[in-house]
Parts: sequence; C-alpha cells; structure tokens
Amino acid sequence: MAETTGTRPSAATAADDPTRELLDIVPDDAVTGTDDHLNAPALVVRADRVQATLSALRDAGLDHCACVTAQAYDDRYESIYHLRDYDDPTREASVVVPVPTDDPTSESAAPVFRTADWHEREAYDLVGIEYDDHPNLRRILLPETWQGHPLGPDFDGEEPQIVPFREHANPLADDRRGADTMFLNVGPHHPSTHGVLHLKVSLDGEQVAAVEPDIGYIHRCEEQMCQQGTYRHQIMPYPDRWDYISAGILNEWAYARAAEDLADLEVPEYAQVIRTMSAELCRIASHMLAVGTFALDVYGDFTAIFMYAVRDREKVQNILEDLTGQRLMFNYLRLGGVVWDLPEPREEFFEKIRDFLDDLPESLEEYHDLITSNEILQSRTVGTGVLPPEVAKSYGATGPVARGSGIDYDLRRDDPYGYYDELDWDVITDDGCDNFSRLFVRLREVEESAKIIEQCVDILEDWPEDERTIQSNVPRTLKPEADKEIYRAVEAAKGELGIYIRSDGTDKPGRFKIRSPCFSNLQTLPEMSEGEYVPDMIASLGSLDIVLGEVDR
Amino acid sequence: MPVPLQATGTATPTGTAANGTAGAAPPSAPLADAISGLLGGGLLGDVVGALLGAFLIANLMLIMTAVAGPWAKRKITAAFTDRIAVNRIGPFGLLIIVADAVRLLSKELVIPDGADRPAFDIAPIVLPFSALLGFAVIPMGNGIHLADPETGLVFAFAASSIASLGLIMAGYASNNKYSLLGGLRSIAQNLAYEIPLVITAASVVIFTGTLQMSGIVAQQTETLINVGGIRIPQWFAFVNPFAFVLFLAANMAEIGRNPFDIPEAPTEIVAGYQTEYGSVYFVLFYLGEFIHIFLGGAIMATLFLGGPAGPILPGFLWFIIKIWAFFLFTQWARSAIPRVRIDQLIEIGWKGMLVLSFANLVLTAIIVGVIA
Repeated sequence: MAETTGTRPSAATAADDPTRELLDIVPDDAVTGTDDHLNAPALVVRADRVQATLSALRDAGLDHCACVTAQAYDDRYESIYHLRDYDDPTREASVVVPVPTDDPTSESAAPVFRTADWHEREAYDLVGIEYDDHPNLRRILLPETWQGHPLGPDFDGEEPQIVPFREHANPLADDRRGADTMFLNVGPHHPSTHGVLHLKVSLDGEQVAAVEPDIGYIHRCEEQMCQQGTYRHQIMPYPDRWDYISAGILNEWAYARAAEDLADLEVPEYAQVIRTMSAELCRIASHMLAVGTFALDVYGDFTAIFMYAVRDREKVQNILEDLTGQRLMFNYLRLGGVVWDLPEPREEFFEKIRDFLDDLPESLEEYHDLITSNEILQSRTVGTGVLPPEVAKSYGATGPVARGSGIDYDLRRDDPYGYYDELDWDVITDDGCDNFSRLFVRLREVEESAKIIEQCVDILEDWPEDERTIQSNVPRTLKPEADKEIYRAVEAAKGELGIYIRSDGTDKPGRFKIRSPCFSNLQTLPEMSEGEYVPDMIASLGSLDIVLGEVDR
Repeated sequence: MPVPLQATGTATPTGTAANGTAGAAPPSAPLADAISGLLGGGLLGDVVGALLGAFLIANLMLIMTAVAGPWAKRKITAAFTDRIAVNRIGPFGLLIIVADAVRLLSKELVIPDGADRPAFDIAPIVLPFSALLGFAVIPMGNGIHLADPETGLVFAFAASSIASLGLIMAGYASNNKYSLLGGLRSIAQNLAYEIPLVITAASVVIFTGTLQMSGIVAQQTETLINVGGIRIPQWFAFVNPFAFVLFLAANMAEIGRNPFDIPEAPTEIVAGYQTEYGSVYFVLFYLGEFIHIFLGGAIMATLFLGGPAGPILPGFLWFIIKIWAFFLFTQWARSAIPRVRIDQLIEIGWKGMLVLSFANLVLTAIIVGVIA
C-alpha cells in the first residue's frame, strides 16, 4: 500500500539506495511519496505527471512496461506501472498513481509506452479509472454496452445488464475507412484466428490498410476468481486455464513464484528440479503446437506437419500424464513445492523421458526439412510481419516474439528462479524480426528445453532417496500480512507471465492481477501487418502464438 | 487441315496402338456412332446414341468423383499424415461415400440474405458442367470417345475455362466479402495461368500439326527410341519434358490445387467463393472441383502421356490410371507444399511461366522447323 505521506522527495532520506536512485531520475515535482513493493521500489506519482515520470524512467533504462495494474481502495483508485529493464529484468521499479474516487482521472502512459494503450483500456474497463490523453479509451474485455466497472467499488453484480437494442443496429454502417477500402471482419469465427479473436480489418485490395484486434470473447473473470480463492489451494487450479495449450505448469509456476515470495515460503531444491523439468516439458508441448498451427496457417490444408507436431506433443503429454495424472489441467504445483513425487517405478519414468529426448533430434530434423528449409515457406515468411526491436520493446513484447526480434530477454536466465541457473543451456535469439525468425526461435528453443530436461533427469536420478522433499512446511491457512505488494514473473511458453498480488491480511488476495504475455504480444499485430497482404497478416498472427484464454483471462 | 509432321523423320512401324490411327481422322463421334449402330442407325439412333453416350461418360466421371471426394481424398491425405481415416462403414470405409452423399444432400439449403438470386443458383451448375463438357472430346481408349472434332484441344480448353465464369458468379452473388475476394483471386489466377497453359499446349500442337485429339494421341503411339528391345513410345512428356513440367505446374494453378489453391485458401479467406454455399449447392461445387481435377489430368494424359496408350492393360484402364495418377499428385502436393501468396502467384504466372512457355514455344518451333 502506498504511503501517501505528501512529503517532498527530499524528505525521503530514509529510503534505501534503489529508491534514491529512482528519485534522482524522475522530475522533482512529480513524486509525492515512496513505497516499497516486495519486488521493487515504488514511487508515488501525481496523476498529471505520469508521462514525464515514465519517460524519464524509460530513458534511464527501465524500458519495459511489463504491466499496468489498476485497483480500487476505499478512498482512492490506483494505477501501478510495473517497469523493468530489458537488459536486466531484476532492475525493477513501480510507479504508483493514486487518484481520488470522485474524480478518477489519471494521465495516460500510452504516449510513452505503447503497450499501456491496451493495459489502460483494461483498467478503465474493469476498474473504472479514466486516462487523459489516451488515444482510444474504450472498453476492451467487456462489451461496449456494458454498464459499470466490475472491479470497481460500487459495482453491483446482481443488477441486470440492460442493453438497448439500437446499440446493436448495424455496427458496420458507414464503416469505410479511407477511400477504396473494404471493411472485413476476420473472426470471431474464422479458421485461423486461433480461438475467438475478432480482427477488424480494412482492406485496400488484398493489402491490409488497418487492423484492429477485438478481444474479450472468452473473458472469464479469472482475476476476480483468484481474488475469491484462498492462497493455499484454491487458486492453483486456475492458472492451468489461462494458457491452456498444455503450458499449465508454466502458468502454475507464475502464481507459485509470486505467492511464495509474498508469503516468504521456501521451496525444497528437489521440488525445484521437478518443477524445472516439468515446466520445460510443457514448453516443448506448447511450442510444438505453435509450430504446427503456424505451418497450418501458411501451408493451408490439414497437412502432415501439423500431425507430426501433434504426434510429438502427444509424447510429451503422455509423460506429463504419468507425472501429474492430467493431460491439460495439471494442477501439479503447490505453494512450497509440488503435489507428489515422480511416479514409481522411477526408472521406467526416466526411461520414457530419455526415449522421448533421444527421438527428438530426429523429429526436429524432420521439422526443419518440412518447414524451415522449404523454399516456398521461406518466401512466405522471410521479411514478412517485421517487428523491429524498438517497436517490440515499446509494446512490451516478450518470449519468442521478442527473441525473434533480437531482444535477448529470458527471465529464466535474467531473473533466475527454479533450478535454471544451475543448468547449462542457452537463450536463443534471432535478428530477423520476421515471421520466420519467430518460428525458428521456437524450434531452437525446443532443443534448449530438451537440454534442460536431460540435465534435470540426470540430477533426479542421482538424488539420494532420503532427501526427496517435495514440499516445504507450509501453514495450512496462509495469511500474508496486510498491504504487501509483489509483482513476480516467470518465462512462460509465450513470454513473461507475471502475477501481481496485494495481500489484505486475509487468506485471499486483495488484488490479483495477471500479466499475460499474449495480451501484450497481440498488440503488435497492427504494427506487423499493416501494409502487408492478408495471408501475411494471418501468418503474423500465427507467429505470435497467442492463446485467447490467456489474452482475455 | 495441316499435314501431320513426323517428329522422328522416318516412318517407323506403328506399334500396338490402343486407339485411333495416325494422322488426322475426319471428325467423328466414335462412342455415339457405336451406340447408334447398335440401335440400327438413322436420325433417331444418332440422337439417342449421342445422348446415351454423353450420359455414360458423365456418369463415369461422377462416379470417379464420388470415389475421389469423400473417400480417396481422405485416405490419401491420411496416408501422408500417418493417420487411418475413414474405416468404419463398409470395406475400407468405402460406404462412407453413401453416408456422405446422404448427409450432404439432406442438409438445409441456406440462401444468404441479399444473395443475387439467379447468379447464386446458376454458379454451382456452371462449374461441374463446364468440366463435364470438356470430357466430350477426350479419347479414353477402346473407342470410348464422345466426339472428335478437328478443334478438339481448343474445345477442351474453352470448356474448362467456363469454370471461371461460375467462380466469379459465385463470388459476386454470395453477398459475402470472403466470397468476393475468392472470386477475384480465382479470376486473377486463371488469367495468369491459362495463357502459359495454352501456349505450352501449342508447343505440342507444333509437333502434331493437328488440334484433333485422336490425331494427337495417334502421333504419340509412334516409337521414340528402342532401349534394349523395350519400345519407348513418342509421348510428348518424353519428347519435351520441359513443356510437360511447365504444363503440369500451370495445370495445378488452372484447377486451383496446392500450392495454388489461393481462391479457396481456408486459413485466409475461409472458403473463398464457396463460403456461403451449403447442401446441394456445395455438393455441386465439390463435384465441379473434382471433375476439374480429372479433366486437368485427362488433358495432360492426352497431350503428354499418350492418351489411353499403355502396355498389356486395355487403353481405357490406362486412361483411368493416368488421370488417377494426376489426382494422386494433386493430393500429394496438397499435403506437402505450402501455398504461395497471391502476389507471388501472379508474379510466378506473368513473369515466370508466361516467359518460359513462350521460350518453349519458340524453341519447339525452331527445332521442328529444322528437323522437318
């Protein structure tokens, strides 16, 4: 919780060094106080000096606006901008902007960080904060006709939503953006929108003149559901349902990491190794599907490469089923460890993983034969959907999308957690910035994940039998002390999956915010596809590898 | 009528020709005449013979389509992707054809709001019938040949080109933007590829000196070379393999198969011109597409693969084998080759294929001119 002390920055002499450093960067008249989040120092900033503060911090190297969290207190609203450094993600800062409840208007950060565009729209939509100077402050997840702000203080969920009929009267009337363009709805029911995504596309002939993603079709109030669950057990099943492309354990780890750091829980080293191994298995499964569906988007029909990818994903899923008892919704991690040990007989389980890893290089060779070395595919993907690194950073792109644009950013290495820093593996980047690079990065990352899994299996095999502690001693009812705030992220299959939790002294989070990598990555689509052909837009969308369950939450 | 040129120069003994005689035969209608003869001739016999012959040929093609569409396509694709495909109903799942036919025909026929009615209804009829029309002049061996006009080859191309009309009608009349895009794409594509296709076919005509299908087939029965006692016939695929490859590629674009299935491109424009069609209309489109594939295969077999000629088996069987081989090839390409982008397709057509086909035509003319 922000201490809105009203003191001048110079009075904050008690603040420790990182805060001091931040205060030197930002304009003096902007800061009204300081705070300390568990992950980073926080500055409390006046609502009309947001842009000046953020641009000063951005120019000082905090160039990654990872997330914007909005929340309502009894007496005020708060927007929190979680900033990080792309070169060193452990260098973090939070910018807290409180606004009074009766006039919730704050300056928009969209001119400084383009990613703030969507994040602030979401804050407006769900919490009800208004942003001055925002280019396009409309609802994003809920329908345009929705009344009230569900996470705001005075929202009545029982009140029926009355939608006047005229709101739905021909939404496309007079929609001719520019001369000689044709408006086209791609989705929400389209073969290659990878779920229920709706793209409002203006076509100039076959070329895309403008594209605007319309999301929110499977918004399931995940944040609110997590706020209604207890830390210890009730939240963990939800992360599986964000990115449901078999990346469940990666998602679970995001929650586990945030909650463990919040409640100061230890995780036994043995459990960390199991987590690392199972998370990388999930990454392989997720990347396999990404590659397969991307090929499907470019190749056209239900082709061999998709079946091959699903075949290999199936092997991973069988291993994960042996481990967790589930094929998609694993619910395997627990705060302080994992739910149970490796399946018996262990030798058989290790053998199964080894068999998979032994076959993998051959399969990858097959993918390279079928996809990356195919001349037609290269002519379709090289140089299309270009996302320059500067633009990618401004949009907060992470994961293979950022690494395909040559941004060397991987939280597994840069902000180590789990067992990653003990293992020998590389971060894959590619300078192509195009659809091909993103595809290539994913295929290479599968190799690296295989390396990690192999090392984990070796370690687990040699682990002494009496030291196999799978969970630390965690209180049955977890009640972190009130007003602790934390933002923690892990490298999920799609990028930086971050969780912001504010505790309110009870056994449930006061605010639970999900930073979805797909949400930020999808914002880059207009940048990549405007001026290109329709098929390239489809390919770019495929190369982003979004999961709408995670975009809409 | 031009005198046929002998590409090999010397008169070689005619091999066991499956059908037809060397040189340009007078226009005739072998199958219809045969039926008419059975019926005792006369005007009535001629009319009934012609109708009956057309009925038989059309049904043969429809049966092949029925096998190819719901069954063979699935089985072939499944084989390419390590799957099993239909196997529950009947031997090898063959009765899925019946089940599918009943399913498709019993669906509700939905006409979209604002569809341009006569055009919307005529389009699905135009497509299969344009393709069926092309089969009228294809010699299928064993005397199965509906009509053999002097301009047979031109007729086949002209008939198959009518399909473009059906596609643009469907695309325009559906009142759907995806359909419109698909219709426009198909026209752009057909314009870009029909010219190389016809020009390449013209290089064959330079060899044969006739447009009559029976003449083209007869020409190819002659011996090209004897290798250790095995007689290699003078198929134009052997005489001019370059033209054969060119024709094959242009043919794939003409019938809109991968990697040139741009007009449908399911991942981009949903289903192109046939987005709004369902039930019987969809069946007609589906039929039309497959008959077009077979017609493409038939024209290619006639021009480059000796028509119905082949050892041991009867000519008709060889003809069926050849067009099914072409069908298999299209399905192989469908499973293995990514589709190109629309601008790349147009570029390949106008800047690549057109130039190559003209080069091929000029070179062929020079070579034939020198030899003759």
